[in-house]
Amino acid sequence: MIPLLGLLAGIVLGIVLEPSIPQVLQPYLPIAIVAAMDALFGAFRAYLEGTFTDRVFVVSFISNVLIAAAIVYVGDQIGVGAQLATAVVVVLGIRIFTNAAAIRRALFHA
Amino acid sequence: MPDEVRLDDPTPEPSPRRRRPRTQSRSAATRHVSSLRRSQRRLVGEEHPTPPPLDEGHTGPEPAIRTDDAADAASGTRARLRAALLRPGRGQILAAVILFIVGVAGAMQIRINTTDDTYASARREDLIQLLDGLSAESRRLEGEIAQLEQTRRNLQSGADTQRVARSEAERHLTELAILAGTAPAEGRGIRMRIADPKAAVDAGVLLDAVEEMRDAGAEVIEVNNTIRVVASTWFSSGAQGLVIDGKAVNRPITMEVIGDPHSLEEAARFRGGIVSEITGPKIGGQVQIEPADRVVIESLHAPRENQYARPAPPPPTPR
Repeated sequence: MIPLLGLLAGIVLGIVLEPSIPQVLQPYLPIAIVAAMDALFGAFRAYLEGTFTDRVFVVSFISNVLIAAAIVYVGDQIGVGAQLATAVVVVLGIRIFTNAAAIRRALFHA
Repeated sequence: MPDEVRLDDPTPEPSPRRRRPRTQSRSAATRHVSSLRRSQRRLVGEEHPTPPPLDEGHTGPEPAIRTDDAADAASGTRARLRAALLRPGRGQILAAVILFIVGVAGAMQIRINTTDDTYASARREDLIQLLDGLSAESRRLEGEIAQLEQTRRNLQSGADTQRVARSEAERHLTELAILAGTAPAEGRGIRMRIADPKAAVDAGVLLDAVEEMRDAGAEVIEVNNTIRVVASTWFSSGAQGLVIDGKAVNRPITMEVIGDPHSLEEAARFRGGIVSEITGPKIGGQVQIEPADRVVIESLHAPRENQYARPAPPPPTPR
């Protein structure tokens, strides 16, 4: 319940206050968001399976986001940024689907 | 308990506090054995994708425990959800904080994506490509501009040439009109009055006078303020007296000539010239010459349409 409230508050604040991030970081924000979604789905799955730990969650969240952004940053530096971004999104998307399937199984046994 | 192995195990967040008290009782050796079994099954290729219900046939010699486990897991899930709703813990606060961050970031990204211009978040390669396209386009347009300016210059110079040619032609036309006697003329010149009491000046004398004037550079000649002397002018003296171009000439005769006054006067006065001829004993007349700064000649010659002569095409230009 509280996490959902947090999500709602974040969305509302983001819409109302219109915060902005530095221009340099803007290309990496979408990738970071996808990584964060992956971490969230993984955390929910772990929670449903009873293996959730807040420490692991926080660490995995931060590391996922940072690694995804770093991969894209390195890709930008060596000239394959767009391709690496696609690769990261594809991998994270596959993970998100796997986690979603596990969540579905845990919730509905189907 | 080696049958405790679950095949859909790839949990993203493996927790140190794993699952049931039963699972925690597994020793390191058992875990090692179970992982070996798993890899063996994988090598043999009899492993099914992931669903737990399917792996019962492979792993479970003790179905009672397994069903118990599944039911336990299901009820545990529900119970956990219920408990989470009722008693939020530290993990939920953390999750809320992280979800808050994700929410802010998502809203920000959506706003950037929708409201911001397309170039702010574009990659360097895309921007370079855009720039390339734009510069190629601008090069093309600059070429077009240069071409059009060249065309405009050409047209302008063409118009200039045409204007020059026209003014040249007009100048030529006035010159020719003055020469042909179809336009009035004015300029420096002389007035020559020939008093001829014995009426002895005939066509020959007058023609001599005109020839002398022309030799001295006369450009326009007029007789008696009425007769314009041109190339086709003819002189005759007969029964009806002195006639020029079919018009009778009254005496005294006045000639108005446009040209250099000094030259004209000298040409008239030189020894044996027209003045001495007229003032000579044979004619006995008098000649009065006065240079003038402005001689106006307004009488015109009516040109006759050529009956036979036609303009011929110009000869081919020699190369």
